[in-house]
Amino acid sequence: MSEIWTERILSFSRSPSRFLSGTTADGFLAELLRELRDDRANYSLKVLLLSPLCESPSLLCLSDSVGEETALELMSVFNQCSPKALQFRCPLLLALTSVLVCTSCVNNRSRASQDFLDLLLQITQDTADLHGDGVALRATACDCLRELEACSPGLLSQRLELLGGLRQREMSRLHQAYAGLHTLVLRNAVYQLTQETGAGAEHLKALLGGDTSVAWEAELDLMNNKDDSAILSSLILGPMGTVPTLQTGPDCKELRSVLSSLLEESYLLTPLSQAALLHRLTEVVAMVPGVSPAVFRAQLLRLLGTSEVCLLHSTLLMKSAFTDSLFSAEDEAFLLHRLVVLSQHPLLTPPEKLFYMDCILNFPENRPIGCGDDALPVLLTPRLASVLVPTVFNDSATLLARLHLLCLVYLEEEEEEENEGGEEGRGLAYLFDHLTSLLHIVDNGGSREIVVTFFRAAFLFLSYFFHVERYSRSLMEELCSLYLRHPHLAPHFINLADHIQEQLSEASWATEFLKALQGAVTDTDLASRDLRWHLKLLSRVAEEGDIHQRSTVSFLSRIITSSSLCVKGDWRLGNFLLGVCRCLLVHPGLDALLIPLADVLQHLACHYGDTDVRDHARLYYTLLTTLSREKLAGVLSQESGEGGGQAKKRTLSCIVAESEGLTSLLTVHRAKKILLRLMEEPRTETGSGLNQSEANPEGASAALEQYRAQFDVPGFASELPLNYQLTHSEGADSCFDQLFSVRLHFSLTDDHYEPLGDISVPCVFRERPPPSVKLGLKPRRPQPTTLHASAIFTSQDGLSWLTDLPDVHVAFQQTFLPLPAPETWGRGGRLSLFEGLWDEMSEELTGGATSLFCCPLPEEALAALVEKHFLPYVVSDPADREEVKVLFFLPPQSHLLLRICSEETVHFSVATDNWQLLPHINSYLLTLTGTHTHTHTLT
Amino acid sequence: MSVRALWIISHEKGENVSLRFARRFATVEHRAKILAGSSYTAVPEDNTVLQLLLTELGLSDPDKPFVALRDDCFYRQRSPALELRMDSPGKGMLWPVLAVSHGPITLACLPLVDAPAEPRPALASLLSVSQGLTLLAGLQTFLLGSGGKPDSEVLVSRLAMLPSVLLQVCPLGTPLDVPLPGAPSTPTVPTPAENQKQPAWKTGLHRGRAAVNVALIETVRSMQYGNRSRQDLWDVYGTVTCKCEVEGVLPNVMVTLTLPPNGSPLQDILVHPCVTSLDSSILTASSVDNFDGSAFSGPYKFPFSPPLEPFRLCSYTSQVPVPPILGSYQLKEEENQLRVSVTLKLHESVKNSFEYCEAHLPFFNRDQFGVVDVKVSSGQLDVSKEKNLLVWGLGQKFPKSREVTMEGKISFSGPTPGPTDPLCTELTAYIKLYFKVPDMTLSGCSVDQHSVQVYSSAKQRITTSRELQSKEYFIWNSTGSAPVSSGQMML
Repeated sequence: MSEIWTERILSFSRSPSRFLSGTTADGFLAELLRELRDDRANYSLKVLLLSPLCESPSLLCLSDSVGEETALELMSVFNQCSPKALQFRCPLLLALTSVLVCTSCVNNRSRASQDFLDLLLQITQDTADLHGDGVALRATACDCLRELEACSPGLLSQRLELLGGLRQREMSRLHQAYAGLHTLVLRNAVYQLTQETGAGAEHLKALLGGDTSVAWEAELDLMNNKDDSAILSSLILGPMGTVPTLQTGPDCKELRSVLSSLLEESYLLTPLSQAALLHRLTEVVAMVPGVSPAVFRAQLLRLLGTSEVCLLHSTLLMKSAFTDSLFSAEDEAFLLHRLVVLSQHPLLTPPEKLFYMDCILNFPENRPIGCGDDALPVLLTPRLASVLVPTVFNDSATLLARLHLLCLVYLEEEEEEENEGGEEGRGLAYLFDHLTSLLHIVDNGGSREIVVTFFRAAFLFLSYFFHVERYSRSLMEELCSLYLRHPHLAPHFINLADHIQEQLSEASWATEFLKALQGAVTDTDLASRDLRWHLKLLSRVAEEGDIHQRSTVSFLSRIITSSSLCVKGDWRLGNFLLGVCRCLLVHPGLDALLIPLADVLQHLACHYGDTDVRDHARLYYTLLTTLSREKLAGVLSQESGEGGGQAKKRTLSCIVAESEGLTSLLTVHRAKKILLRLMEEPRTETGSGLNQSEANPEGASAALEQYRAQFDVPGFASELPLNYQLTHSEGADSCFDQLFSVRLHFSLTDDHYEPLGDISVPCVFRERPPPSVKLGLKPRRPQPTTLHASAIFTSQDGLSWLTDLPDVHVAFQQTFLPLPAPETWGRGGRLSLFEGLWDEMSEELTGGATSLFCCPLPEEALAALVEKHFLPYVVSDPADREEVKVLFFLPPQSHLLLRICSEETVHFSVATDNWQLLPHINSYLLTLTGTHTHTHTLT
Repeated sequence: MSVRALWIISHEKGENVSLRFARRFATVEHRAKILAGSSYTAVPEDNTVLQLLLTELGLSDPDKPFVALRDDCFYRQRSPALELRMDSPGKGMLWPVLAVSHGPITLACLPLVDAPAEPRPALASLLSVSQGLTLLAGLQTFLLGSGGKPDSEVLVSRLAMLPSVLLQVCPLGTPLDVPLPGAPSTPTVPTPAENQKQPAWKTGLHRGRAAVNVALIETVRSMQYGNRSRQDLWDVYGTVTCKCEVEGVLPNVMVTLTLPPNGSPLQDILVHPCVTSLDSSILTASSVDNFDGSAFSGPYKFPFSPPLEPFRLCSYTSQVPVPPILGSYQLKEEENQLRVSVTLKLHESVKNSFEYCEAHLPFFNRDQFGVVDVKVSSGQLDVSKEKNLLVWGLGQKFPKSREVTMEGKISFSGPTPGPTDPLCTELTAYIKLYFKVPDMTLSGCSVDQHSVQVYSSAKQRITTSRELQSKEYFIWNSTGSAPVSSGQMML
């Protein structure tokens, strides 16, 4: 049992959506709760069972009320389990917290959440058990309270004094948990006061003293009306942030004494908790101008020397909040120097060093000049920054971060020198040298990581220093010769050119770069194995209207005439060639290229060894020689229009290049939205057409025998014909108005049915009536089910798409069929069969079951109900009002019989040969009658 | 100041990827939703996260030379925070994802952004980021031990402990502590009724005889070029590690570091959070400042109250005037063979008594050794099994002259090519030195046994030790072009 659960929980956490598609959230939740209540299950299994509730409560509790009920259940489990079972009770508290918070029960102050709050407060105050087990439970209770307060700020404001007292009295390690809770509640309470007009010292004092009589009125509901995110957000956000303040005047000695007591003991907390505490207290002091930031001074020296990243970080945040009211100019210089040291300290891990570098870029200056991203602190001189220059020994992330920082430093330096008429600094020269050494490593066969790092570094350098002609030109030359030695890096070169062009649209570096690459490629004798890269690059070059393409065309001409390329007839290479030609066809300088390009195309069309390539070359040749330039551009232009234009583009030209077009034509796209859905078609069955000849069997047993003989024929009455209409779902884009070759695929979510084959629908047009789709479901067991459905189709522009359809739910009543009685039978035969079946089911040994469902229902309502829902299944005479007999056949071989008679209340006597159907019929009748009644099941 | 989710994955250079552990914190996610408002992006299912993470780390599709998403030269994220871009409907971003890697294991977490989502806040304004880094580092040490090779069996058993460990150190997604390295946290030893609160970082109380062990380890790194145009570099950093077994809830101990007269001051001092107070003069000297002759040069006093487990009390750097071993390395190409000439000089201030001392001479981008005709003036020369590395064992002592040499020729005519390295091509080559000298420091810094004070009535046993070790100690061939290792000296 426990292995099955372990496996199930694992598969839930791996993919909750897939797991829940095989069952329902309600069902799974109910199973979890049942198992948690089970005394036989061991605690380690139960802890595991809690994990879905801890990690994904909102997936399991679909509404607040379910959350509320679940929480009540869990609380009763908590109350019933042994106090010794600590390893279970602690996670149980966490699960409760998760459920209550995530279903908004806490925000709504629901009953369960109030009970839970009381329970937690009771545990935290239960100090009788000083040692051992109780301590861990109290710690967890504090954590839960802190989380509740964090998610629902102000929840515990009224308990501030209580929590402060608990914290002060606690001598064990637990004081940390109390301190964390106390500071958070204090911070939120003070924040709430700042939002109260007219709140002041008195209110603060009352709050801290736990004097509820003076407490302000608005209290609890306050936060529900406000913007929740504001109070959750940190108040220390650098120079741009504003902090709400509480005007108290200088007299707030109560707050001051709380603060100093918390700070005095901060040393006793772990660094992580200490950092959080300092941050919260920083916020409190920032909100209350009456308290001087000097309260932190005693801690400062200890914090400035710390080796812990989070403690130094909280100190930086403190500086950001208080600037020169707590930190002198010397402190500022010290901190910045320390950040520089730490950014390259041999004992720190790379992520820590990177973080410190980020802190330099966002250094909280006492008097910031500029603000926003990447404003370097004034104190960061090039000399100081020089210890952070990148070297080839750095890992990629460090190298790029250092390069970025140094680029900013030297950019600033360069600007200053320019103003002073000086020459470019040595720093910039160093960066360029560094880039060159990286390039040499790439040249010498560096790993993929180094290649990627180099191109990123090159991009970074260029984006800051593209204007320094000396370096940008020299880098271009180096890159070109690198390309010739390593043509397989072509995608990186194209990527670099693309981004430079995008980023520095005003500079022409990218164009010149591409031109230089073109020159390098077309000037050299080339090994044919690199040809595909050259062609790829030349295609990109040909996209540039400003670059003359004559050399490209003569290059093409040279390779097709002077090599064995045409003879070999490689399809891929041929397509790369055509790709270049295609770009040339839309090049603005086409006129000058007309004759040589036509020659190239003609040569390809006549001599290339691959028919497909020849055909396309011929097409291009024809287009080039017969169409005017404008028309040619219209036909081929990538940008040309939507809709119809797209279709033309794809059919004519996309196949020629390994371009986006080809890829998109060959791939099945996933639709972003649901585009289609299946709507249930109203059932059109009426009462079964009764044969008038009345060739009825004699007696019930003969009827049964005759009826059952039919089932000897394989496949008899085994299919449920479910009729649907395939329609567009609402909100689908207009480009999907006409869909062709729709293929619907269904997958089962359980094994109650035989797998369903795919269904093809020729087309779905929005303006036409929706096509009908018949799902022939073959049940193995008559159970309701859900089908996943998806569709692949072709849109107007020729692309293939995959879209999911909303799940198809097959309800219990949809599994009913009218009685498949022999056609010759009349009513009499059916009635005999009904009686025969009923008698069999009432016998105890056959595995049948009977049940009674009662509800008050006026006679007219009953008649209407029968008319509306049961008519196709009624076997008794419609004139017989005393007792209506209804027979549902549920393929493959189950029956459900109803005798409905109306006395004071309406009695639905139920009999079935499949007892598993009873719960379904029960809930079906409940829905039909819309009442809650008692039923008795007699088996 | 919380994390939304935590993942631990293992992989071999992007292959055989598996998710070893994942934890989501639902209540933190709830807060993230409120805080981010309309720009909220839910954490996708684990498989998606895994794929996006590998892409950002450059590890996805290891067999493809260029993948635009992975290798784009437009480098958005500023490490250490990655940005995971969803390709699903909605196109959200997960930011800031922190990731730390050690060998085959990568740990990642997603800290809560407790600031308005637009415009994106600076990483440095989010305390949850440094907390996340601390948590990841702590978990990494817990899972893999500090340094060394990760042991897969230990890893499996530690991963199994993780849920209960997280219950203590990060309940509901708020990091409170890092797990104790090694054994899982032991149940609390009952605290006697005292007036002193027990520190949260102290899991129990020591009973019995007091013992304090203070170990000072200095590490020296060097880059020597043997080239006038380029200055040789070396630096020294020291760490003081303590193991204290002292009775009491909050006992006081003081360790004092002293320098010899004229010793250059200790710089960049970082202290453990258990240090109770610091004199501001201790912190003033910094390696990035101009050297100031008047700087404070000790004694450096560190009063603290020790945790139970061993810890690093403090670390420092120091600027020493000379490297302990000065080397010169020259290679000359001569018709299919290399002429090798090496000299190593031990500085007179360094104690000539090593625990070990070895010089490694690797050769890259060449065939395996053919004939190795090399003589050394002292020590023993070995050729590695792979025939691409010379190992020169210098033993425990340099000769009296404090100078050793190696001369000879190596031909590269082995049957198979040796290892390649894109950095060490042609005559770019290095010697790497590995050595350890017990009972000495380069800075002269020491901890006197008698200067360790334990304010406790019980009798104590105090031991101190010090040693010097090398790390990244390179001597580059002066006839080749050596890579620049630091810009500081160049500018």
